[in-house]
Amino acid sequence: MSTYLMRRLMYMILILLGASLLIFLLYAMMPGDFVTNNFKLPAERKAELREIYGLNKPVLERYMNWMNNAFHGNFGFSLSQQKPVLTLFNDYIWNSFLLAITSTFFTWLLAVVIGVVAAYKQYSWFDTMVMIFIFAAMSIPSFFIGLFLIKIMAVDLKWLPPGGMLVTGSNATGMEYIKEVVHHMFLPVVVMTLLGVGSLTRYFRSNMLDVIRQDFIRTARAKGMKERVVLYRHALRNAMLPAITLIGFELPGLFGGSLIIEKIFNWPGIGQLYMQSFTVRDYPLLMGFTMFIAILTVIGTLISDILYHVADPRVKL
Amino acid sequence: MKKLLITLLSITMASSILLAACSNDSSTPASNSTQTSAADTKGTENSSTTTATTELTAPIAASDLSKLPAQAQKRTDTIIVGLTDPSGAFTPYFQQSGYDGNVSSVLYASLVTVDDKGLPIPDLAEKWDISSDGLTYTFHLRKELKFSDGTPLTAEDVAFTWTLIHDKSYDGQSELLTTIAIKGGKAYKEGKAKSIEGIKIIDPQTIAVTIEKPNAKGLTILGSEILSKAYYGKDYTFGSLDYIKKLHATPVGTGPYKLEKFIPGQEVRFVANEFYYKGKPKTEHFIYKTTEGDTWQFIETGEQDYGSFQATQENIDKLKGLGFLNIIPYTANNYGYLQFNLEHPTLKDKKVRQALTYGLDRKTIYVDANQGAGQIANIPASPIAWSYTEEGINPYNYDPEKAKQLLDEAGWKEGADGIREKDGQKLKIHFIGSKSKATDIFIAVAKENYTAIGVQLEAEQFADFNAQIAKFESGDFDLVSFSTPILGDPSDGVISFVNGEVKGYDNPKVKELYEKGLATSDIEARKAVYKELYQIINDDAPYIFTSYRKLVVAYNGRIEGLSISPLRGLSASLPDWKLK
Amino acid sequence: MSSITGGLADTKQTAASPIRSSLWRQAFRRLRKNKLAMAGLAFIVFMFLVCFFGPLFSPYANNKINPAIMNQAPSFKHWLGTDLLGRDVLTRLLQAGRISLTVGIASMIISVIIGSILGAVAAYYRGIVDQIIMRIADLLLTIPSLPILFILGALLSEWKVPVEYRMYIVMLMLSFVGWPGLARLVRSQMLTIREREYMQAAIVLGLNDRRKLFNHMIPNIVPLLIVISTLSIGGAILSESVLSFFGLGVMPPTPTWGNMIDAANNLIDFEQHPWLWIPPGVAIFTTVIAINIFGDGLRDVLDPKQKK
Repeated sequence: MSTYLMRRLMYMILILLGASLLIFLLYAMMPGDFVTNNFKLPAERKAELREIYGLNKPVLERYMNWMNNAFHGNFGFSLSQQKPVLTLFNDYIWNSFLLAITSTFFTWLLAVVIGVVAAYKQYSWFDTMVMIFIFAAMSIPSFFIGLFLIKIMAVDLKWLPPGGMLVTGSNATGMEYIKEVVHHMFLPVVVMTLLGVGSLTRYFRSNMLDVIRQDFIRTARAKGMKERVVLYRHALRNAMLPAITLIGFELPGLFGGSLIIEKIFNWPGIGQLYMQSFTVRDYPLLMGFTMFIAILTVIGTLISDILYHVADPRVKL
Repeated sequence: MKKLLITLLSITMASSILLAACSNDSSTPASNSTQTSAADTKGTENSSTTTATTELTAPIAASDLSKLPAQAQKRTDTIIVGLTDPSGAFTPYFQQSGYDGNVSSVLYASLVTVDDKGLPIPDLAEKWDISSDGLTYTFHLRKELKFSDGTPLTAEDVAFTWTLIHDKSYDGQSELLTTIAIKGGKAYKEGKAKSIEGIKIIDPQTIAVTIEKPNAKGLTILGSEILSKAYYGKDYTFGSLDYIKKLHATPVGTGPYKLEKFIPGQEVRFVANEFYYKGKPKTEHFIYKTTEGDTWQFIETGEQDYGSFQATQENIDKLKGLGFLNIIPYTANNYGYLQFNLEHPTLKDKKVRQALTYGLDRKTIYVDANQGAGQIANIPASPIAWSYTEEGINPYNYDPEKAKQLLDEAGWKEGADGIREKDGQKLKIHFIGSKSKATDIFIAVAKENYTAIGVQLEAEQFADFNAQIAKFESGDFDLVSFSTPILGDPSDGVISFVNGEVKGYDNPKVKELYEKGLATSDIEARKAVYKELYQIINDDAPYIFTSYRKLVVAYNGRIEGLSISPLRGLSASLPDWKLK
Repeated sequence: MSSITGGLADTKQTAASPIRSSLWRQAFRRLRKNKLAMAGLAFIVFMFLVCFFGPLFSPYANNKINPAIMNQAPSFKHWLGTDLLGRDVLTRLLQAGRISLTVGIASMIISVIIGSILGAVAAYYRGIVDQIIMRIADLLLTIPSLPILFILGALLSEWKVPVEYRMYIVMLMLSFVGWPGLARLVRSQMLTIREREYMQAAIVLGLNDRRKLFNHMIPNIVPLLIVISTLSIGGAILSESVLSFFGLGVMPPTPTWGNMIDAANNLIDFEQHPWLWIPPGVAIFTTVIAINIFGDGLRDVLDPKQKK
């Protein structure tokens, strides 16, 4: 196990190095650069600015500089926001994380419960209704659910706020503050859960159907175990197995932010920041964020593999 | 001039507004001219009706203030305005985003500002003199000016501000560097001089500056915001400006408000500045709320007091229907255009360019599909500019027959497949634009229009503004869609014809008139120059001028004293806003 | 329709032996008894027919704009109203369906084929093959697709790829970038199968690799693949709208369901012109449901463990 871990860690570092180079090259290859944004500037000024930002240097040299600084913990300043990249992360990522972790929790909870029940009662009314509801939630574009809920709940009924994270100008602290945030995150969490729950439920149902028919379940039943125990302790554990690989994959998503949801609900998250820095070619910010997600992805993959082994010791690492 | 800086910067932001514009531009939360200009390049309102639109020309007052949502009712000393995306870099000259410019325009006053027509009026400077050769400007500051931290503002601060911009590590886009040149500025920048030769402090209230060449914009460019030397210059050494980044979040200014708190991605909170030279503003708190995209829900629920919308019939009807909003219509001070690539032999021919202008149904694209939120443009100036004229201007009304005739005259004859040919070459026009609803509309209509006159339109869209520019700079296009930033001075609208931006266009007469227009500050003389200039450009057709955007501002009916300056947005009247 | 079953048939024919094909025939016989699945199938066929032949009967020419009738509500003349340029929404909806269906199914097939083969090979051979495939997958998973798409857009423009073909190339590339997730899933499923008793038996019997892989392992993940593929058709139809959104997909004025729905995503249109977004919304919605129900039915009959 520990040699396995060592080997994996080494691979991880190699992959991250490879990824960083690849990502840097990709961003450098994108048409336009930060100076291009202001195409009305005189050519000499553009040249001066490229000199100041180091954009006139060869790509590999820029990459080495970036790597060198990154190793020293310096991720640079955002060109467009004039702030250290890490400060910006800190300003935005936690807001995205809050939404993601809450909705992920509800998504998994709902998916497991509904998936198990639907599988158990395959072809029942409940099963059909659930499936139709799930497909419905999955195949409606997110901005429509979002707009619809804002229109009904916020604009017409005025039960919930139309967007943002706080009441504008609010000076709430402590419990009041928490209450305000919860109030504001209700709608986005509902939409994110709706969007995510479909595929996961279907996934659990399908796995559960597989497992229920296996011999050990029949054995368990034959032994006279309670149906609930059979279902949740034996069947579910096995049905969860393939799903466990998904947990690792959720990790980057937790911090990555959601562009559309954040935009519709005016949520101050990292998804919007990424998109903005993307369109203005703010390389330090782009590079910093992408590498951050890359690191999470690699860690997430490792977690998946280890969890997989833990859940099913037969599978060799 | 602060607004000029902001508008210049707004190009930067044009691309970042991509998403907002793509998805829901019905109400770009434009609180200021900056965003409307940015949105302009990107999107237009998608909806339209066929019912004849009764044009809104005069302001409408709120019909029923009792409909005001409780949330807006509760606020007594706070006004909330939406702003797309302030990033937190609030020091003027050092901003990369036009939205930060909107914030600093509240925090900083300038030496000289402009009135609604774009003519200079005093701000921090009480008066000024310009030498008869147009090279030396002497500014007389008001007495007892103070920064928001209570320290006095003197000529030293003015000199410091100008000097700072000439530092070699300065990475902003001030027109001090790009449009005018202060005498000795270059030597300082290259490290050859310890100070800038052209800047002379006469006494604490008076400062003179000499520039290399007369420029009608000199006064407003030099008369921009002033940074405190004591605060921003404390750690200054030549060649390193990184320390300033740490001060962006804690601005010390001269404007009506000072910064109370910045919550990234959510709000910029201001509190009235007791040291403001015109006296403390009438409303204690002011908030820029970050609203990406649609502001309807915030206006309707009273979370926001002010919003700017495209002047479509549906928008206006809906705003009127809400009852608690005052509505002011206005036209943006910029223009949209389609630029020809005059380096391509086909388009070198003026007749072809004119034919393509006649052959494009601009009314359908820019007025009808836009529900009246646009007006067809024919010259490089907005109808609200003092230089605007329709005298001797060809309106190029949609006329396919005329277009066909011009193409025939130019030697392009219809081929077997209906596409015109000349010397075995087909008449194909390669259009580039960035992805937006406005571009979608243009392509749909233009394809049909041009097919009808025997021209094949090959339309290509780019993922964002930056990618479009990269393609544009590579020269691989025939026609490209743009819109200008807010135009402070008429010269801003025509500079592209003389500075090489419109590659392949070289008309000596245009260059001569451009110089003539800047060489004097006399308005009547300049009007005459620009009239002639517009007539030539209108006839030469290096651009197909497309449209001027029409907008409406809607705000909480309780606010008194609000007026809209097409050049300065809301900051001009902000100190006078009061909640009744 | 033909391309769905055709696609599935292709995957399995690689594995088909005489005994298997009779199993397939049995499966289809059982499928015919599943009313819900057959209804789904019927709807898919209906959708294809209507989208591919419907526009031929429309009196409104291809994308013809008409300034006189902009934004009109549904009427007898225009059953689903007109859009902001006076184009008939129904005609556009059907034309859009051709592209959306083709793109959705094509990209699903490509990514499922690449992903499942690579995942299966990795799981079966383990060792160095596994390492190489999975490390490449890891690397690809860390790279955001947005810059890749932007660069692609620029390159395609540089190479002067005709606008009409771009969509398909981008779709190909997208599925190429999208395989790692699927490959990982297939691999993990295969690892479990590999340890099952019957596989141990296959090894003891000394069956060759090809036979073990294609006759015993891949067929066992077919149910999972079907679930994933049917899900991903809907995803692909929606992801086409994302591409169009960035100007990388189908260029206007050619309609797709995705860009039609996207053209109305603000509060004003949402309230005032429901006929702009309801039709494409319902089209996507019903088609995806039909495909999913059909996929569900297929899964049930193909799964050897399931007996009713």
